[in-house]
Amino acid sequence: MRAAPEWLAPSSLEEALALLAERGDEALPLAGGTFLAALLNQRLIEPACLLSLARIAALGGIEGGEELRLGAMARHRDVELSPLVREGWPAVARAFGVVASPRVRNQATVGGVLADADYASDPPAMLCALGARAVARSAAGVREIPVEELITGYYETSLRPDELIVEVRVPRADRAVYRKFRTRSHEDRPCVAVAAARRGAETRVVVGAVAGRPQHFPELCRDGDAAEIGRRYADAIEPIADVRGSAAYRKRVIAVEVRRALEELAT
Amino acid sequence: MRVRFALNGEPVELDVRADETLLTVLRRDAGILSARESCGIGVCGACTVLVDGRPTSACLLLAPLADGAEVATAEGLGPDHPVVRAFAEAHAFQCGFCTPGMIVAATALLAESPSPSDAQIRHALAGNLCRCGSYVKILEAVRRAAA
Amino acid sequence: MSRESILLGRVRYSQDRELPGMLHARVLRSPYPHARIVRVDASAVPARAVALTPDDVRGLGVYGCQIQDQTVLALDRALHAGDPVAAVAAATPDEAEDALALIEVEYEELPAVSDLEEALAGSVLVHERIRISDNDAAYFGIRPEQGTNVCHRFRILHGDFEVGLEQADVVIEETFRTPAAQHAPMEPHACLARWEGGRLELWTGTHTPFNVRSDLARVFGLAEEDVRVVVPPMGGSFGAKTFVHLEALTAALARKAGRPVRCVLPRSEEWVTNNRHPALLTVKIGATADGTLVAKRVDSWIDTGAYADCGPGVAQKIGYSAVGPYRIPHVHVESRCVYTNRPPNGAFRGFGATQAAWASERAMDLLADRLGLDPLELRLRNVLRDGDVFCTGETVRDVHFAECLERAAAAIDWGQGRSGKGLCVLLKGMQTPSRAQIAVEAADGGGYTIRCATAELGQGSRRALTLVASELLGAPLSEISFPDPDTDIVPYDTRATSSRSTYMMGNALEEAVRELRKDGRRGVGEFRNSGGLDPDTGQGVASSHWHQGAAAAEVRVDEETGLVEVVRLHAAVYAGRVVNPPGAELQNEGSMIMGLGSALFEAVSFADGQVVNANLSDYQIPSIADIPDGLTHDLLTKPGAEVHGLGETALPPVPAAIGNALGSLGIQTTELPLMPETVLAAIDRRDGGGVR
Repeated sequence: MRAAPEWLAPSSLEEALALLAERGDEALPLAGGTFLAALLNQRLIEPACLLSLARIAALGGIEGGEELRLGAMARHRDVELSPLVREGWPAVARAFGVVASPRVRNQATVGGVLADADYASDPPAMLCALGARAVARSAAGVREIPVEELITGYYETSLRPDELIVEVRVPRADRAVYRKFRTRSHEDRPCVAVAAARRGAETRVVVGAVAGRPQHFPELCRDGDAAEIGRRYADAIEPIADVRGSAAYRKRVIAVEVRRALEELAT
Repeated sequence: MRVRFALNGEPVELDVRADETLLTVLRRDAGILSARESCGIGVCGACTVLVDGRPTSACLLLAPLADGAEVATAEGLGPDHPVVRAFAEAHAFQCGFCTPGMIVAATALLAESPSPSDAQIRHALAGNLCRCGSYVKILEAVRRAAA
Repeated sequence: MSRESILLGRVRYSQDRELPGMLHARVLRSPYPHARIVRVDASAVPARAVALTPDDVRGLGVYGCQIQDQTVLALDRALHAGDPVAAVAAATPDEAEDALALIEVEYEELPAVSDLEEALAGSVLVHERIRISDNDAAYFGIRPEQGTNVCHRFRILHGDFEVGLEQADVVIEETFRTPAAQHAPMEPHACLARWEGGRLELWTGTHTPFNVRSDLARVFGLAEEDVRVVVPPMGGSFGAKTFVHLEALTAALARKAGRPVRCVLPRSEEWVTNNRHPALLTVKIGATADGTLVAKRVDSWIDTGAYADCGPGVAQKIGYSAVGPYRIPHVHVESRCVYTNRPPNGAFRGFGATQAAWASERAMDLLADRLGLDPLELRLRNVLRDGDVFCTGETVRDVHFAECLERAAAAIDWGQGRSGKGLCVLLKGMQTPSRAQIAVEAADGGGYTIRCATAELGQGSRRALTLVASELLGAPLSEISFPDPDTDIVPYDTRATSSRSTYMMGNALEEAVRELRKDGRRGVGEFRNSGGLDPDTGQGVASSHWHQGAAAAEVRVDEETGLVEVVRLHAAVYAGRVVNPPGAELQNEGSMIMGLGSALFEAVSFADGQVVNANLSDYQIPSIADIPDGLTHDLLTKPGAEVHGLGETALPPVPAAIGNALGSLGIQTTELPLMPETVLAAIDRRDGGGVR
């Protein structure tokens, strides 16, 4: 019968990166494992080897300063409840706090949600709006990747097979909001999500859950009132259609929710 | 591979595959029936267990990740546990399939917030689905247990 | 099943039952909605697993509670995406899954019937010939239209609709749709089968143990007594677990394996096993200027999927439910049950009443609007009262529709402005005719044992019956045991459906206790309700007593997105005499919450004949955060009255009450669920149709 995957659980980052360099093609990095377990349960993947990051203490932690530093293995629930995050980056606490249930948030990690690049997850759009960067390490070195360049499409990232996200750095904003528009149960994933952040004269608006990757159009935010920007976003985005809403409906909601996010940002 | 963890306070050692979930091995090898598979994707809460005190979907936790943890299930609660008593007094169940998971989730909520508001209760338990729709009485039970 | 065992998770549901040497089953299903099965090759399945293919079951009998249209596996044609074409039993579920991948099936895709319109066009027949079952269908005449996809047509002729229509000053005609929905019991279907000395034994979650017994006896050519059906508690059902679903296949696997086999359905397969009937109803209703109803015509089509299951019964119930609890002198109903190449649809809490009330009660509000009448006034003017004659010709007694309506309306302050508020009244029948038997035995060590086929699915019937028995016997609850139903031991019962168990069994129990007193050891009681409807005229006795209720809703609408917030929801239900107050409350609350899901967002979605949302993330059900703060209900009681089952009454009126609340804002919808997108389209229509 089917062979069980090998379980690798290194206790240091160096060891993990060495293993990844050596076996990147067959080793699947595993953080909290919520996404991978769901795929494994449905037999959508059959990896030869699982590389667990759970024992690498250096990947945990939440630190504040000029920027917020979220360790890749920090759990959603830790981000949600961290007084430091709530105080300095309340919209980040909110975006992580509205993901699924407390159970999933107890398990899912900061690095995991970015590396999965699930189009309907809440945090990526918010991190993108705040101009956050993922720090990626490999045996060969380290680089910073803006979140909006990290996620390239449905479940696709610009990470190389030998790279791991080790940390996410989130700059401060003057104000930021996250709006999750659901069309069904409270437990549903968003039909349209809008993250918006204001820093000095710059306003960034990112729409999530409507396409393969967070939708950000800096040039559309430079002038015009909230309603106008909302309409521009609705025109610019080609949304998906699914059980949560058709493409045409999503366009209408994008116009409304972007406007509302900008109005909220102005308060 | 072997995993060792404490189950309701007792040490257990199980032989597992790396791609098996804690739910599979608890039910198959550890005699646990209160954690139940319903959705299989972590959205329903029928398999809620505590891992190091935190509510967790046993169906989404790969078994090797439970190594070294303290795992608690409804089997570890007695009939006199205040949350169990409150659920009994409030008649907060129908078919009972989701109930142990709901109770485990409620114990974790009350450990964190001993006097939760209704909004907090709803937020904390929203991921535990009860198709019988016993929610009105579940709310009442958690309020009682908090009192 | 003690309270403690439920709370601490010690209950063993069907999915938890085990036997030594037991194997685990998995099912291979057709990926096509309609296909010829050219070849099934299981030769690559290793010897330690057992594969069941069409050739293994070709000689077995056909089954189906109302129409004999099901075989153990699809034989020559797969009739829906998800139709079982092979199955495997192996030492673990994982190994069975592995083995499934080794079975090769060659299909030749056929044109498929994907909805009611295509089914009625009739260019593709799902079944060549429609064979009526002698089982459940014995209770009412089935009227298949051979050579078409209509497997049953039920008609009501009362007065003369055309004559009535001429008397009408105002006529409303509108078409309403309800989609498929999924029961989503927390415990999926699960069944354990064993063959022992030529007898078949099954442990299975079902409301209908005797029906399962007779269908399996027919499949395997056994005497009914050689099939034993034991019913462990169910982790919910809501109608999903009525009639045969996994049982025939699991039993056939166990027979081939020569070992016990358990089949626990993976969650995703629930959506291809049993759903709620999608329905299309056209309602034409006429009234005089003062708001007196004079004529109503209902044309109804329900999509029963590839197998009829109890669809003909649902069509019959929709037929009279869609007339509603009103005095109407001229009524014509044509209600049809139609095959399509979709997964089978069957009993779902409400049994057609939800689809019927959605159409009938939305039409009432449209009529009230046209007449310029208060929707409550219009209803009260026409609602059935004691001694009135229903469209079936039966005189109704002990009816409280007006009171239910008034209580529901008062609960949302109807008198203080109707904007954002809506009402719905509901009439639902109980299985008629039917027969229930119950035995009470004096146990050897003292105390009493109740033996009956009433299955526990969370509805609390067994608790209610234990309470009744305790009162009748003058014995404390602790002295009364109530083992799981076992057809080898318990006396006959039609089924635990249509909210009939507490009423029917409660009545039978009185006789059983009297007989026990005479006999000293054992007493058996029987209760029958008689009646039935002529399928060609709809005349007779539809229901020996009526489930009656009303719902009232108040909504707030985000008019820019169409998102509906239900602020207040109230159900008033006639309960007669309440045996178990917390149980009654739970049934009402649970029904209302399920109704909210049906109203606002539950729908099975299809693309190319495939279900596209077969998981509990893509198919959402209500959570605790979805219930309105203002969710309240009334149980109307009457001293000395009959006990009324409450399992379903508060669900069907909820969607129409919410739809009518939207209607009060000029947002006129005809299609469920009331997803924001649907509501926004209705807002656009109200405002003149402009986009943006």
